[in-house]
Amino acid sequence: MESKYNLKSPAVKRLMKEAAELRDPTEHYHAQPLEDNLFEWHFSVRGPPDSDFDGGVYHGRIVLPPEYPMKPPSIILLTPNGRFEVGKKICLSISGHHPETWQPSWSIRTALIAIIGFMPTKGEGAIGSLDYTPEERRALAKKSLDFCCDACGSCMRSALLALSPDSDLRPVDPQAHRLAQQINFKAESSSSADSGSSVAAASSNGESSATEERDAEEPASSEQVRQTPLRSHRTESSSSSSSSVAPPASGEGLSVPAAPSPRQRRSQNQSQSPRSPASPAAQLPPQDPSHTGSAILIVLLTLALAALIFRRIYLAHEYKFDYEL
Amino acid sequence: MAEEQQQEISQKEADGLNCLAYDEAIVAQQDKIQQEIATSIPLVSERQVLSILKREYADDDTIYQQKIRDLQKKYSSIRKTRPDGNCFYRAFGFSHLESLLEDSKELHRFKAIAAKSKQDLVSQGFTEFTIEDFHNTFMDLIETCDKQPSVNELLSSFNEQSVSDYLVVYLRLVTSGFLQREEDFFQHFIEGGRTVREFCQQEVEPMSKESDHIHIIALAQALNVCIQVEYMDRGEGGTVNHHIFPEDGEPKIFLLYRPGHYDILYK
Repeated sequence: MESKYNLKSPAVKRLMKEAAELRDPTEHYHAQPLEDNLFEWHFSVRGPPDSDFDGGVYHGRIVLPPEYPMKPPSIILLTPNGRFEVGKKICLSISGHHPETWQPSWSIRTALIAIIGFMPTKGEGAIGSLDYTPEERRALAKKSLDFCCDACGSCMRSALLALSPDSDLRPVDPQAHRLAQQINFKAESSSSADSGSSVAAASSNGESSATEERDAEEPASSEQVRQTPLRSHRTESSSSSSSSVAPPASGEGLSVPAAPSPRQRRSQNQSQSPRSPASPAAQLPPQDPSHTGSAILIVLLTLALAALIFRRIYLAHEYKFDYEL
Repeated sequence: MAEEQQQEISQKEADGLNCLAYDEAIVAQQDKIQQEIATSIPLVSERQVLSILKREYADDDTIYQQKIRDLQKKYSSIRKTRPDGNCFYRAFGFSHLESLLEDSKELHRFKAIAAKSKQDLVSQGFTEFTIEDFHNTFMDLIETCDKQPSVNELLSSFNEQSVSDYLVVYLRLVTSGFLQREEDFFQHFIEGGRTVREFCQQEVEPMSKESDHIHIIALAQALNVCIQVEYMDRGEGGTVNHHIFPEDGEPKIFLLYRPGHYDILYK
């Protein structure tokens, strides 16, 4: 393996060191790189005692980024366990009340101890987390020992050192344990569309249905905090809904002049619209404060247009009346 | 349009990228912004005349233009650092090592402090094998200075991302270690009801977390290096205020602080 990698690369140097450090299985965890890839490791961890995972040994993958340890590893469990979905990345959360971010002085061992420490915590409905019943988890714990990994060849029955009566119940490494307690793991969402639509829904809160449709069309994958594009969509949709006032009128067989004809202009002061037009403003979505100016302009233009249409209808009818009489 | 996007999404799902969580999307966007900054601003720049600052502000921005004139009375040039949240550590690291190039007595004193710093961290509970790479990078840089290289050699080391970042990591660890050793004192200056340890985990050790007074005080004391910071902000008065850390020291490093960012100043 040594010849394959650039030993001057900080990541390679560090991972070699970690591989040596973790070479021998302990009673609680073991992890080693795959034979052909220093940047993919497989690990086994013992389910914590006094929990539904007691007696289980769980297997998984760790994928290291080229920038490791400046960037965090990704962790994926391969054994069904009832706590984390299988085959999905568990990743370091950057959200939360006091966001914890990866620190370059943490290691793969820190991550392993964090997983063990995190298993008995509640999934609490986080996407990718599982809240199986204790019975199901205990059944899976028993079954986990039968698991053998095709990729690295380790079998869970023999992956870790056997627990002896005088061995510690938990992995002993106060410092790593202390760090692990501060790590906030969360399972990744299975579909970015979920978070995408929820973001769109949150940002379009209180918008009209027209705007919501627009937002729903937003590509879920590009939902990342794109406030500006979202706003411009809103402006677009509001102007399209204001112009949509015109087509129904022309659908009634009336031609709507783009500008008032001289006659209309002349008669502007003579008569009022017989019915007050259904306020087009009601159809407009509430505007962002930043768009108040354009919103008012749109409303005014729409009102003016509506007034002209209704005047046209009125005049046409008047004419018809006159003719029949 | 929607169909295209749909296809794009299903394509991504096929690539197994669908598990990109929202958090990761934010990280990706932050990375992109950082990359944009990275291509335009070096980690540590060449030395430039101080008057270039004038161009950064509008001519009729009297407060800043006046303060730049005030700054020019005391300083001749500036070296800029990349605004990536690590600028204080990088500015400090470069400026100090540069000053050591011409001061071999101070260099040897500093080397001894730097060498001992790892043991202090390990005895505080930091894992040796994870911090030693960072420490080695730090020591290598100090060793290099002992060989009297040109300033440009030092500058190119500082502009090599991996070396430069490892130095930043180590300076962050030293800062964190000192804050935790002097927990009783620093506890009073930490906001938000956090312990010193929590503060270090959240605001000191992770990369890209910006530095405040408390970080500067801790690093200056931990490495026994005196730092003078010139504060240039929108405050009235027309003059630039400065602070010396620690207060009774004889500063060798001069930094310019503008809200959110540190650069290096030269007399």
